[in-house]
Amino acid sequence: MFLLSNPSQQELAEHEKVSDQVKITQKDLEQDGFSKNPFFHGIIAEVPEHLKSRDGHTKVGYSLYFYTYSSWKGRAVYMEDLYVMPEFRGKGIGKALMSKVSQLGLAAGCTQLNFTVLDWNKSSLDFYLKQGCWDVTSDLGYHCMRCEGDALENLAQGDL
Amino acid sequence: MTPRHMPIEAAQSLRYMTLLNTSRSLVGLTPKPEDCKDIARMIMELAVYEKMPDQVKISHKELERDGFGPNPFYQCLVAEVPEDHKSKDGHTKVGYALFFYTYSTWKGRTVYMEDLYVMPEYRGKGIGKALMATVAKVAKEQHCVRLQFSVLDWNKPSLDFYLAKGAEDLTAKEGWHFLRFHGIALDNLALEAP
Repeated sequence: MFLLSNPSQQELAEHEKVSDQVKITQKDLEQDGFSKNPFFHGIIAEVPEHLKSRDGHTKVGYSLYFYTYSSWKGRAVYMEDLYVMPEFRGKGIGKALMSKVSQLGLAAGCTQLNFTVLDWNKSSLDFYLKQGCWDVTSDLGYHCMRCEGDALENLAQGDL
Repeated sequence: MTPRHMPIEAAQSLRYMTLLNTSRSLVGLTPKPEDCKDIARMIMELAVYEKMPDQVKISHKELERDGFGPNPFYQCLVAEVPEDHKSKDGHTKVGYALFFYTYSTWKGRTVYMEDLYVMPEYRGKGIGKALMATVAKVAKEQHCVRLQFSVLDWNKPSLDFYLAKGAEDLTAKEGWHFLRFHGIALDNLALEAP
């Protein structure tokens, strides 16, 4: 029904989300994902030609992930994106993508697969919790924090 | 599997760094494998502070294996004091920041600061701030546009420290939650991979 493949440079860049918030370009993805020490890895879900989407796409989902480190547990993998085109949902593609990331993570010696979900995104939360994961924020109280823009600039200069 | 790492030149340039402009300078240095015992000690001290010491499962051995060589999983800055300023227990390595590179599909290169810790008897001297500022400096040098980390919601001193430096609490502000697969749930998930 579908196969998962490692994307070619062009293919992964084409699946960048189209949104006002997206600041990186196809060129950034090509440079950052395919150098000697890439910042991320990707997997693409592809359907046969005769099952292509209404718009003619055979590449219908992807997952973007990278390796991280827990000072308590060691090697870990972080899944930054998991996406399946709406007309291909409910067929196990999302789960297959996530399973592949965990398989690759385990093979690399990782003991955790981490990711984030918005608290209002009930359908995604239910999907993940049903697979056996747990909500670290709800259970332990960890909050995601970020410095960017002027705050990052000031921090780097030590002007605080 | 090829994790990212800083170019060698950048790592060497960070080797010595004056953290405080006092008569006794505090020097942060990129650790050597033999420093991992001190880093492991401080990781445990931080876990005790976070009330979860039983959750620490790795030792200095994993830190040595994973933090050095051509493809390290993390980078680490260590704050060191001169011998005549050593701690009550005789330690000169008194703080650390452990971080690694991540990626935002919307914004690009990012740094994630996994740990920031200063031994209690050395707090209030600007060491934590200097460690974090150096992580931010490294992030900028590597063209990262974000520095991300996590804090426990009851840890008010840390939350106040970070918010005062312009950090945003994305969980409070936008509703982001960390989710995790580990143990049997992770094994079961992987078994279903096509």
